Formats: sequence, structure tokens, C-alpha cells
Amino acid sequence: MTATVLHAVLQGLLLLLLSPLLSGLIRTAKARLQTRRGPSPLQPYRDLGKLLRKGMVIPETASPVFAAAPFVVFSTTLLAGLLAPTVFAAAPLSQFGGVLALVYLLGLGRFFLALAALDTGSAFGGMGSSREMTIAALAEPALMLAVFTVALTAGSTDPSRMAQAAIGQSWRFLAPSQMLAFTALFVVLLAETGRIPVDNPATHLELTMIHEAMILEYSGPWLALIEWSASIKQMVLLTLLANLFIPFTLASAPGVPAILSAAALYLLKLLLLAAAVVLVETTNAKMRLFRVPELLSVAFVLGALALISTFLFGGR
Amino acid sequence: MSRPGSAAFDSLMAEVRPLAASACEKTPWEVRAFLPGADDRQEIAAALLDRGCRFASVFAEDRRAQERAYYLYDVVEHRDDHRYLVIRYRVAPEQPRFPSISLQAPAANWMERETQDWFGIEAEGHPNPRRVALHDHWPGVHPLLKDFPIDAVLPPLEGDPHIFRQTIGEGVFYVPVGPVHAGIIEPGHFHFAVAGEPVIYLQLRLFYTHKGVEKRFENLPLTHGVFLAESVSGDTSFGHGLAHCLALEHAAGIEAPPHARIGRVILLELERIYNHAADIGAIATDVGFVIANSHATRLREQMLRLNEELTGSRLLRGLLRPGGLRRPLDAARLAPFLEKLESFEREYRSLVRLIEDSDSTRDRLETTGTLPPAKAKDLGIVGVAGRASGQDLDVRRDHPFDGYQGLQPRVPVFSQGDVLHRMRVRSEEVLESLSLIRAAAAELPEGPSLSPLPEIAPGATALSAVEGWRGEILHWIRNGGNGRLDRCRIKDPSLNNWPAIVEAIQGNIIPDFPVINKSFNLSYSGTDR
Repeated sequence: MTATVLHAVLQGLLLLLLSPLLSGLIRTAKARLQTRRGPSPLQPYRDLGKLLRKGMVIPETASPVFAAAPFVVFSTTLLAGLLAPTVFAAAPLSQFGGVLALVYLLGLGRFFLALAALDTGSAFGGMGSSREMTIAALAEPALMLAVFTVALTAGSTDPSRMAQAAIGQSWRFLAPSQMLAFTALFVVLLAETGRIPVDNPATHLELTMIHEAMILEYSGPWLALIEWSASIKQMVLLTLLANLFIPFTLASAPGVPAILSAAALYLLKLLLLAAAVVLVETTNAKMRLFRVPELLSVAFVLGALALISTFLFGGR
Repeated sequence: MSRPGSAAFDSLMAEVRPLAASACEKTPWEVRAFLPGADDRQEIAAALLDRGCRFASVFAEDRRAQERAYYLYDVVEHRDDHRYLVIRYRVAPEQPRFPSISLQAPAANWMERETQDWFGIEAEGHPNPRRVALHDHWPGVHPLLKDFPIDAVLPPLEGDPHIFRQTIGEGVFYVPVGPVHAGIIEPGHFHFAVAGEPVIYLQLRLFYTHKGVEKRFENLPLTHGVFLAESVSGDTSFGHGLAHCLALEHAAGIEAPPHARIGRVILLELERIYNHAADIGAIATDVGFVIANSHATRLREQMLRLNEELTGSRLLRGLLRPGGLRRPLDAARLAPFLEKLESFEREYRSLVRLIEDSDSTRDRLETTGTLPPAKAKDLGIVGVAGRASGQDLDVRRDHPFDGYQGLQPRVPVFSQGDVLHRMRVRSEEVLESLSLIRAAAAELPEGPSLSPLPEIAPGATALSAVEGWRGEILHWIRNGGNGRLDRCRIKDPSLNNWPAIVEAIQGNIIPDFPVINKSFNLSYSGTDR
């Protein structure tokens, strides 16, 4: 019991403290590839610190939904993070829910963010919400199919079991079904974290925004919570991608050296995936908004193919 | 000072009845027709449009004190004549109105409304006579009238600054954007009516940076106007400065010395290059292809530094004087400058290749924001945007000024009219500009850079045209005597081109608006004046 609590606290801290760094590293790497020096990778911490200390401007038209949304988003995202295995094969809160709970906790957060954006009655918020919901409706099935592909092989939707089932089989991730599902999930990751080619996190053009348009009315500590949640969500999705498909680095045995090497390998995996995101963002232009559904349909088809090939080839 | 070329206006003047009967005056730069009243304006406009003319500018002048009349001017351009046709209509102060030609020539739309706002002269039969230059909550004042003092203080404005037309339909809602925008751009208000993402109707409201520049020119000493002209639009300081100098030189009947005439070609093309390079990068940014913008920004900076090395001014300011160039271009600096231009060209070509080879970027730009050639012709779209939509116009080739009289610029023209081709016009023009600079530098003669500006007759008028990097710039001046200007009319190409954006956005979705707008990259300051 104490071990579980300790595990949950440690993983919570890991997510809270490391996720801004991951966002910062992506930003710095992008700047370098664009021949800019860019901000330090620690900039997101400074931004959060600055926002937390600032006052807030709350639109007169805002209802309590606007006030509740940052906290709902923050807590659901963090909770979702505790359902995913990071360093250990077992997730701290795995007895409370499986990968379905994880996906829909994130969905709950998104729902509240979209509500809050509509709540202020600004034109940009409405545009952001409608775009976010369109994309979510398409990304979610692709995400579920990809996750089910792994779940089917493992015989469980508990991400810990899914990871544990694969620990012995180092090369499983090269199976066609796994590769297809991995690609589908990677596309979903780009869409869910608001990355190019779906959304542009660095743009100042309100008319083209998706995620940023939803949070335009937020400021100060509430904005900090939302920005922080976005970083955590990105880390959770990267973790899912890393640990569901390449789980053999996870620590299953206790012992300091095993845990340390598992932690180091976990971070390495995250960095490699983040590097892939950076490459995609640098080499691509943002898609026309009406092309995004096509991209997500591709992800969906990949997910479906992954599932079919699991049935055909038994996922090996 | 003879200029070669055919003379379409000579035969045209004889063919059009009211023009044939009018008084006429010819200079190497202009054909002037003086009409006693504006009654025949629509007939003349119809005849001119039939014969392939384009209405480049419409403006007015308050001569009540001297000649007891308002004058209304139509500036008409024809590709087959090096000169411009300037038709002057007398408008009686007792009946301050003139027949509108906006239905026949939509190009005149904004400029007729501007005349209404600034002079209180009514454009009779205008299909959309609402205000354009003054916002709707301005009191009924007409700032360009001579009896409106330049230091007049108005009471605080009250009420709605804009009255918009309604767009009604199921699921239609408005997205107001601006006038203050994110990023460092000038103010302008965009009022979208959208149904979901597709834009149904866009209404523009500009003139937030109206500074009364044309009013400010009045009573300015002749040689001082060039400084004000340089700040009409910050990115076109050389283009506007040059147009202003040329207008004074035409009025005085002189030409700048050969060194200045060729030197001005080099400088005008430098301005074109640095702006086009920046625009290409900005278009890439707006579709999220940031790496291309990094390179474009770097190249622009390289160009600005070259400008500074050659002239001492990054933005080519303070170089012009009526009568030539303030200082000659330094031959010792020219050789290393040309060498650096070579390496600029190499890098520039690789930037264009980077964008053209990016499928995801081209996918965003192709067929986005299409302005069909027919609409471009009706609206009188000029410059980069016009050439991307089949309007084969270029003042440098059709109405050559200064050193361009010996050069034959190659003018890229496309008929597709989308964002991609507005970018391609720019990318090809930069290469042409580079070769123009080399050609000009090769024949740059030694000698003085400045001729003295002789006395200009009081009341003399002159028009000048320059192909700035955005397109056709027109300056029209009247000398007031005692060494001061009486009126200066400035027409930035942006004034012609803003209505094109309303057409180009049709059938597009709202998130594509920024890149469409950027592909035109029109000047707010130059339009608002």
C-alpha cells in the first residue's frame, strides 16, 4: 500500500517536473533546426513561474465553467498520467482503470476546455472548440484501434499488463500489426498535442489556431495550469507510445541499478520520440484544415489494418 | 527628352467625342485633357474601357480660391502609350457632384468614395456610396478642402465606427478580426461572415493609420516633400521618394543626370529584392513552414546590410533629391557589392528550391485564394497581385522612367492567380532584379549625380509613375508658387489592390485567410495616407 502511494507520488512528480522540460527541449531543437538559437530548454519553467505569479483578466461573460476548466483539465491529465507505466511496468493506479480510462480522462479534460472556450462567447474560442472537437472525433477512433491492437495481443486493456506481456519478447514491436498501430498512434499524437501538420503551436495567427484559440481568453495562473496540462498530456502520450510498443526496457525487478537503467532508457525513448516530432514539424508545412480529416483517416485505416493483421497473424 | 514608343492616346483622343472636343495638352509624360464639366464622364469612361484602358487613379483638387472650381481627375493608363492620360473635369462649387463610373470601372470604387469623404463632392449613382476613408462616426468634415485648417481639432468621436452590411442565413455568424492584430502589423479591421469554416463575405475597414499625408504636403517647400514621401509607406521609402522626385522633375522639365538615372534603377531594384525575399518567407510562415522563413529573414538581413554598405542606409532613405541623387554611388564600393550579390543569388535560389520542393507547402498554396484574371482586370489590380492574375502590367516596361528607358525588364505573368503564383511572381522578379542591377552597374557612368532644380511655374502640375515593389506608384503634384507645393496626390498600389482580397477569399476557409492576405501583402500606411 505504502509502495503504491509512494509510486504514485513519485510518478506524479516525474510528470509534473519533467514535462515542461520535454516541451522546452522540443522547442529548442526546433529553433536549432531553423537556424535560430531559440530559448533555453528551461524556458517553460520560467513561463510557468511567471504566469503563476501574475494576476488574471477574466472575461465578464465567463461563467463558473470558465473557472473550473483549468482545474478539471489539470487533474484529469495528471490522473491519466498515473494510469500509464513510465519507469516500472506497473502503473501506479493500474487497479483503478485501464487504457480506456486513460483515454477518456484526457477526453474529459478536452471536453471542459472546449466548453470553457465557448463559455466566453468570443469568436476565436468558438472556432477553436469546433475545430478541436472535429479533430478529436476523428483522432479518438484511430487511437482506440491502435491501442486495441496491443491490448488484443496482451489479452488485457490494462497498460501495465500490456507492457508486462511483451517484456520478454524484445522484437515484437517489429511485427506488422505493431508497426501499423505505432504509426497510427504517432499521427494521433501529433493531432492531440497540436503539432504541425495539424496545428501550429508557435503561430500568432488567431484565425489558424486550434488549441491556442481555445485558451486565448485565459491568463495568469489558470493559463499556467492549462499550459502545464498540455505539457503533461504530451508526455503521457509519448510515454504511451514508447512503453506500449517498446516495453522491454521497463523495470520489472526491484533494485536500484535496474530502476536507474530503466529510468534512463525511458528518458532516452521519450527523447527519441520527441526528436521524431521535431523532424516532422520542421520538414512539413501545416496542413489545410480540411485536409486534417484525411490525415486522421489515414491513421484510422492504419489502426484498422493493425487490428486485422493481429487477427490474421496473431500479432507476432 | 524625347521618349520613343507608340502613341495610342493620340488616336484615341480623336475617336472619343467629348475628349476630341476638349482642350488638350501634351508633355513627354502626360496627355492632359481639360473638360468644362463632368457630364460626359460615363461616356468617356465607357469608350476608354472599350479600348483597353485602365483607370489607375481618381482624385480631386480644391481650386475654389483660384479658379472657383473643384477639379476631378481621372488618370488613365494604356499599355500602348508611354504616357498617362490625365482627364480633368471641372466641378462647379454650386453643384458639388459628378457622375460615378464605379459601375463601369469598379477600379474607381474606393477612390471615388475617398473623394466624397475628403472633399464633400458627391459621386452620383455610386453603387455603394458609404464612407471609406473617414470612419462612420466622423462628423461631416472634409479635411482636404483648403478651408479645413490642418491643425483643426475635432470633438471626440462617438458612436459606431463602422456600419456593416448584414449577412443573413442559417448558421452564419460573424468573426470580427482586428483592428489590432497579433504580431507587428498595422491596424485594419476584417469583418468575416462565415458558415462553419468557409467565408461567405468579408468586409474590410482600413484608414486606421490615416495621417493626413496629402494634407501635410500642402504648403511644404518643394524640396522637402521627398522626406515626407519616403515615409508614406515604410517598406517603399525609395519607391515613393523616387515617384515624388520624378513628379517635380517632370514639372520642372528636367531629367536627372545619367549617373543618377542609372543609380536609381539599382536602388529601386534593391528595395524590390529585400521586400520580395521577406514576403516569400512570410508566406511560408503562414502555412507553418518556418524553416523557409528563417532563411528568407536571413537573406533579407543580408540585403539590408548590402544596402547599408553601398549607400549608408539600410532602408534606402535619404538618398534621393529632386534632380537626382544626393550623393553619387561610390564606384569603389560597387565592385565588392556586386560580388556579394552573387552569393546572395546562390542562397536565394536554394531558398526558392526549398519551398518549391516542399510538397506540403505547395499543397497549401496551390489554388488557395484565387483571383481570376477577369476580376483582376475589372478591379484594376496592379503589381505583383495583378501579374499573378494575368494583368501584364509593369511601369518599368510600359512607361519607362529614368534608367529603365534603356533596359527591357522581363515581366513574369501568370494566369492562375493563386497564392502560389503570387509567390512565384516574386521569386522570379528577384532574379530579374538581380540581372537589372548587374546591367545597370555595368553601364553606370561617372559624373555628377544631381542637377539643380530650376524654377517651376506657379500652378504647374505633373504626374509621375514608378513601379515600386508592390506595383504602380503614382504621384501627382501641383506647384503652388512661392516654392511650395499646393497639392500632392499619392496613389500607392495597395489602394488599387485591397478590394482584391475580398474577391480572393471567396470560396476559401477562414484559416487560409492569413496566407491569402500575406500573399498580397498590401500596405496599410500607404493606403490610409
